[in-house]
Amino acid sequence: MLSFLIAAVATPAAAVDPLRLETRILAERRVAAPDGSTRVELVPPARVGPGDPVVVEVAFRNGGAQPIGGLVIANPVPRGLAYRAPHGTEMPELSVDGRRFGPLASLVVALPGGGTRPATASDVTHVRWRLSTSLAAGRGGAFAFRAVVR
Amino acid sequence: MIRIVLRRLLLSGTAAVAAAVPGGQAAAQTASTATPAGTTVSNTAQATYSVNGATQTVQSNTATFVVDRKVNLTVVKAQNADTSVALGQIGAVTAFRVTNNTNGTQDFLLDPDQNLGTIIYVGTDNYDMTNLKAYVDVNDNGTYEPGTDVATFIDELKPDEARTVFLVGDVPTSQLAQLAIVSLHVTVAEGGAAGTAGARLRQTTLNVLNQDNEVDVVFADNDSDGIGGDGLHDGEARAYLAYDVGVKNVDLTVNKSMTILSDGVSTLNPKALPGAVVEYCLSARNATLLTAAANVTLTDIVPANTTYVAQSLTIGVAGGTCVLLGQGQDDDADDANDPGPYRGSYDATARRVTAIIPSLAGSTTINASFRVTIN
Repeated sequence: MLSFLIAAVATPAAAVDPLRLETRILAERRVAAPDGSTRVELVPPARVGPGDPVVVEVAFRNGGAQPIGGLVIANPVPRGLAYRAPHGTEMPELSVDGRRFGPLASLVVALPGGGTRPATASDVTHVRWRLSTSLAAGRGGAFAFRAVVR
Repeated sequence: MIRIVLRRLLLSGTAAVAAAVPGGQAAAQTASTATPAGTTVSNTAQATYSVNGATQTVQSNTATFVVDRKVNLTVVKAQNADTSVALGQIGAVTAFRVTNNTNGTQDFLLDPDQNLGTIIYVGTDNYDMTNLKAYVDVNDNGTYEPGTDVATFIDELKPDEARTVFLVGDVPTSQLAQLAIVSLHVTVAEGGAAGTAGARLRQTTLNVLNQDNEVDVVFADNDSDGIGGDGLHDGEARAYLAYDVGVKNVDLTVNKSMTILSDGVSTLNPKALPGAVVEYCLSARNATLLTAAANVTLTDIVPANTTYVAQSLTIGVAGGTCVLLGQGQDDDADDANDPGPYRGSYDATARRVTAIIPSLAGSTTINASFRVTIN
């Protein structure tokens, strides 16, 4: 049975897609605890300027009746953000050109004068996650990465 | 296998932005590459998967937020030393540099301040400049030009750009003036209207709902002085310089008088007869209260038909007929062997008497006397 419960899934394809995909951007806010330590809270990005850290989250859920296999979620790094690190335990594959994916250490950036240099986190243009197991009906999860406002 | 099709939609510029900023974190946080306030950051994810062997794709919603105005500025002095001035000087200049570190084009309001009473300087502020004004170096040449640099606020300064600002003021004539500490106080204001000074920015109040998609004003500036003249995150900054009175004019007067000491005939009322001894008195007075005059040099030509009395030059405090308990000077040109703080000599060829007072203190008089006989 198909579900129309999530209004945020506004694309026409959602009507027939069993997989529901929802993204949100959250700001990190440091909260001082009474014991002197600092906790990082994720809050709506009400007050975010250049240099401030944010978390880009993609939540997925199998709303269909069949298990879903081979799930790959791709997220181009939004304009105005610079990729920093994975958020959570799932390690994403990264790309600096949208074609070759891999760990950051394996990526290189072409220099204008010829040759290449190792890619930095700021060079990352695409983030991709693969789910190795199949996703049973009714199950879901979330991937996220940390970024900073350029 | 699975093939990822990347639709870019709203994100078409992503790769270009990343390529333009290869420097990593540092580059991402400098103002020149800072995302302008008001930019909408949008994120859309896409998934590819298979159900019963049929490959499908789905796109997520688009999450957005608006980059806020992160207000920051730097004000520094643009000269290494304080400005050296003379008493009564008109239009004495100190130079400062104002940099816009905000991710947006802003106006900057300028406020010339006298000494704030805070201890930030070696030296004690003891006078105020008069007519102190702040002017922008409009043509950015680093030199104050009275007819050209007339703008009193910085108009539409782009992110990461800087302007020189001059404080211009007049030095009072009071002899007490020594050091005037001044500061340039700069406040970030709204940009957008060229030729008009915007209103000063106010930080958006916290806890207002639905701020994700509006441009908030967030103050991110440092405490620029650490002594209370400026505060943390207040959208203001200031820097300090001083006007140092290095050269002072003194009110110096010299009088010459003569007394006939003896004529060999009358002791009570000596006359200017041949053979009479005449004392000339040169009186130097510094009428300026607190400032000494350095190296006051008195010269006099011995009159015709008279003869200089050798070793008669005496310099000292005024009193008696001319000098009271003065120090007699030898006549030679070598001043090193002269007694006391004073120096004297007689040039027989030029018939010239020279008396030097190395330091004539304020509000004091020093006399020099020498004698001649009438031929």
